[in-house]
Amino acid sequence: MTGGSPWSRRALAAVGVFGLVFLTVPLLIVVPMSFSSARALTFPPPGFSLRWYAAFFGDPRWMDAMWTSAALASLSSIAALVLGSLAAYGLRRGSFAGRDWAEGNFMAPLIVPTIIAAIALYLGLAKVGLLGSFIGLVVAHTVLNVPLVMMVMGVAIREFDLRIEQVAWSLGASWSYTVAKVVLPNLAPSVFAAWIFAFIGSFDEVIVTSFIAGRYETVPKRMFNELVLEVNPTITAVATLLIGLTVLALAAVTVILGRAGKLRPTLA
Amino acid sequence: MNRQERSTGFGFVAPLLVLMVVAFNAPIAYMLGLAFWDKGQGFTLEHYQGLLEAPVYLRVLGNTMRIALIATLANVLIGYPLAHWMRGLQNRARLVAIALVVLPFWVSILVRTYSWIVVLGNAGLVNRALQWSGLTEQPVQFLYNELGVTIGMANVLLPFLVLPLFAAMIRIDDRLLQAAASLGAPPRTIFWKVYFPLTLPALAAGTLLVFILCLGFYITPAILGGGRVPMISNLLDTLINQIPRWEQASAISTILLVVSLLIFAAYRRLDRTASL
Repeated sequence: MTGGSPWSRRALAAVGVFGLVFLTVPLLIVVPMSFSSARALTFPPPGFSLRWYAAFFGDPRWMDAMWTSAALASLSSIAALVLGSLAAYGLRRGSFAGRDWAEGNFMAPLIVPTIIAAIALYLGLAKVGLLGSFIGLVVAHTVLNVPLVMMVMGVAIREFDLRIEQVAWSLGASWSYTVAKVVLPNLAPSVFAAWIFAFIGSFDEVIVTSFIAGRYETVPKRMFNELVLEVNPTITAVATLLIGLTVLALAAVTVILGRAGKLRPTLA
Repeated sequence: MNRQERSTGFGFVAPLLVLMVVAFNAPIAYMLGLAFWDKGQGFTLEHYQGLLEAPVYLRVLGNTMRIALIATLANVLIGYPLAHWMRGLQNRARLVAIALVVLPFWVSILVRTYSWIVVLGNAGLVNRALQWSGLTEQPVQFLYNELGVTIGMANVLLPFLVLPLFAAMIRIDDRLLQAAASLGAPPRTIFWKVYFPLTLPALAAGTLLVFILCLGFYITPAILGGGRVPMISNLLDTLINQIPRWEQASAISTILLVVSLLIFAAYRRLDRTASL
């Protein structure tokens, strides 16, 4: 519809394609560059080599950072998933004073500029002597990822038929029993999606981590510090691995939600 | 017990609420306190006075505003036609287009920012193409200046505008546009009098969202600016990590927080209109 003349339609298509190219080309360029044999970032790469991957996997500092990132993302995503899902359920199904306020508060880390969260956490953790501690990182990442969990689980719980739960209650099941045996099994695909998003959210987090991590190095923190100092082609390998991880995670979410027929609400 | 529990549901929310209050609200409150407090003196506005007196702060603020405005404008100029074009695509092509917008959205900002170094560098793709086509002799300096920072920010934020805008456009009923056409309205009139006004709340909401995110941007200016394009966030980094002046940092953070929340309140109002 709203098409207009062929000329204006062509102009629209041109801007549209340009937009898509603008969004994706930088990602598509990094991948071949990571297999370049050259030290300089020349495009197209003069030859094929795996030297930057070898440099990444052969560097104990990068490997340390990867383990820290993996442990941090695992712990904080599970904490965010458990606490966020419970809260999303309480918000959707319950009614108590201050419910809207609580929901707004849980979503706040998404709205408050991350740099401010970083500074506040830096000052707060310094005050209680937990600056540069692993527990401080886990708590901070949990708080930051709660909104992602709340968004996915909030939609899933709203769409889950309340009457199914009511049947369970009327048969004498307690609320906690109903959640464990009726609600959770039905929401499993969304729980999985929420966990993936929280995991990626934590694995990619740079700003808060750079402020509060102290001597701990995560992959993004190390990458950020190297980028500010100099351009080292090893980063192209790290970037390609991170893109691969994201593609895999999104594919997993798409397959699992698609199978459960729940794709639309999460992506749009 | 069971009945009581069912009537409130507060028990499910309580654990997260405790965590949020301790690990998010309390630190922010503490930061606000630092901004208005001085040892021995109690309440003070002295830290704000300090901001007004130092021209460097005002310059950084002006920088941030200008870059945020330009990046937001670029987003609208690319994002609106892109979303509109996606709406008109056939099913399969539309899915591919959505995937191409969603995927970058989830890829680490660090990776997306870094890739611009590869694309825009002196030996990068863009400069190669420019030199090959004979448009320029010398490589164009895209990086480590405001141009690079603006391009990088527009790129990172584009999905934030396109996705909600596309969602609003897809909700517009085709029959409405057909009705206008059957009444004899030319395409241009249909677009400006019917279609565009219907997308305006979503456009305004998306624009505000992008603008808030621009104001607090940290990574992209730090990397693509090469330290030569200071924005508020980078100034805050300096005040916390390099020359510790926590009170000053707290005062600036408070301003940024209040401005962001005000714009967000406007966004919420528009977003509600947009999703009606």
